[in-house]
Amino acid sequence: MEVLVLFGLVIGLLLLGVPIAIGLGLSSILFLFMYSHASLAGVAQTMFDAFAGHYTLLAIPFFVLASTFMSTGGVARRVINFAIDSVAHFPGGLAIAGVFACMLFAALSGSSPATVVAIGSIVIAGMRQVGYTKEFAAGVICNAGTLGILIPPSIVMVVYAAAVDVSVGRMFLAGVIPGLVAGLMLMIAIYIAAKIYNLPSQPRASWRKWAGSAADAGWGLFLIIIILGGIYGGIFTPTEAAAVAAVYAFFIANFVYRDMGPLKGDGETGPISVLKKPQALITAWVHPDTKHALFEAGKLTIMLLFIIANALILKHVLTEERIPQAITEAMLAAGLGPITFLIVVNLLLLIGGQFMEPSGLIVIVAPLVFPIAIELGIDPIHLGIIMVVNMEIGMITPPVGLNLFVTAGVAGMSVMSVVRAAMPWVAIMFAFLVLVTYVPFISTWLPTTLMGPEIITK
Amino acid sequence: MSAQSEPATGWGRVIDEIEETLIAVILGLMTLVTFANVIARYVFNSNILWALETTVFLFAWLVLLGVSYCVKKNQHLGVDVFVLALPPATRKIVTLIAALACLAFSVLMMIGSWQYWLPFFGERAWYETDDIPAPEFLQLLAPYMNEGERWSKLPRFIPYFVLPLGMTLLTFRFLQVTLRVLQGKQELLIASHEAEVSEAMDAHGETNTETDKRG
Repeated sequence: MEVLVLFGLVIGLLLLGVPIAIGLGLSSILFLFMYSHASLAGVAQTMFDAFAGHYTLLAIPFFVLASTFMSTGGVARRVINFAIDSVAHFPGGLAIAGVFACMLFAALSGSSPATVVAIGSIVIAGMRQVGYTKEFAAGVICNAGTLGILIPPSIVMVVYAAAVDVSVGRMFLAGVIPGLVAGLMLMIAIYIAAKIYNLPSQPRASWRKWAGSAADAGWGLFLIIIILGGIYGGIFTPTEAAAVAAVYAFFIANFVYRDMGPLKGDGETGPISVLKKPQALITAWVHPDTKHALFEAGKLTIMLLFIIANALILKHVLTEERIPQAITEAMLAAGLGPITFLIVVNLLLLIGGQFMEPSGLIVIVAPLVFPIAIELGIDPIHLGIIMVVNMEIGMITPPVGLNLFVTAGVAGMSVMSVVRAAMPWVAIMFAFLVLVTYVPFISTWLPTTLMGPEIITK
Repeated sequence: MSAQSEPATGWGRVIDEIEETLIAVILGLMTLVTFANVIARYVFNSNILWALETTVFLFAWLVLLGVSYCVKKNQHLGVDVFVLALPPATRKIVTLIAALACLAFSVLMMIGSWQYWLPFFGERAWYETDDIPAPEFLQLLAPYMNEGERWSKLPRFIPYFVLPLGMTLLTFRFLQVTLRVLQGKQELLIASHEAEVSEAMDAHGETNTETDKRG
């Protein structure tokens, strides 16, 4: 009963147009006033502990920063060239290359909208030039962009790991195979559509050209090796890996690709050699482009973390009132089995995903469903991947799917027409959700093989 | 930036610049300290003891100082579909209620933060951080705050100060927002989706266009 009051407050405030973070925080404070004796100082302490007590969350600003350095136009263009030279000779080749480019970019960035903007703003125009319809191009990219949060690194996975205390490393590994499967499913669907509608293919790139574009993109793609290799090689913690990735991305953007910073030439001359301008090694650190990237990443971090901090206050209230335990007992008493439970989780997240920012939703829902999942013998890592895939679908379904809005902006279409264009591909993502939900093997095989079986503490 | 925030002029621009630089510098410091610690471990085979705790506190400073900036620039995310569907007159009332809710939140948090922080400044001024060394100038305060005893580590009231400071600034910004809604200068408290899109495009392309303009 109390929990209904709490969630009623949250939804009511959100519908009034209160920012998500404030809606969560205010509901928690009001709830505490009504039902318990906690002090305001205690709430303030919980807010501070969101940062001081969650070392895992510290990875988020660093991943956001790495992705900001990588999002300069040049990296996306190089990744796309490599993708085109790799797969564009298949029927529907450019669309398949678009999906491939989204998968690669997802391995550099932890966010879906960022992936859509980086890849979509180049690929959608390119696809239209060779004869695809705008709708086809937008629909494909809008869906493929959601892989940003499934293929590691992923901000949503870091948040899940922090919310229920599982290993970030395991979550990242668990996302690899589902990410590849989802990408392949989209590619196969494009291939079939290409056969039926006779979509164009590009001439096959020569091996030499392919090797050139692979080497060019390689500098950027090495980032994923630093992150995954560093974590699984036991060299860094995930947080350190993220910081190293951010510094690496800074060097690549400033000194190798030279798309930003002191060595970026003006239009005619092209980039400047560092040998000609050695002072750049110093000036790059304080260059306005660097400050701009730091500021943009900082701003995004502030918005995300303020939502997460307030969601953690709400989580604190829920656990204080023993609400997860009450729900678990009620559900188990009602004879809920694993299959029905997973359907309930899917529905809850699909509905919640329509109104909430993914990270905040995960912080709130994860602790509610986690104890039930453990009782029912569902793997915590598997549950995490299910949640991430649900968040992906939330981003491409109306009314508040963020990817829809971003794609509409990038493709110059109305949001409604993007919704229609994305629809057939959303069906594929739903099929993928069912697959991931009921075949735990896809998510758990890689982490268990590489990191050993997981120790689950009830 | 969002179309709804007022264009900054004169002093407003100076304050913007200070806040934006602070955000960039704090994030840069966090990254470098964490990176330096990795280098120290593998290259110099040692460990920067204070690195982790310092980064964690900088993280808190980044977010808690930054929220008020994001309120000023109307950057916080929310659900706008229902509010946008309302007729303008009703929308103004609903947004005013929302603004008052935000104000209530920030005032309550402000009270809580001061209640939480003041003991660290007063009777518990001896309570130190785990690893961060205390700067020398701080010892001048020791006779007044710590019964003459030198702090061996940075006392907690310093990093914790961001909590009351940030929440007070947040209250100030929400007070401004509430007034602007009353005056009819602002229609929404949250970033509209159009703003988010242009924001994402900016983050993507702006580094290039800006250098082009300069070059």
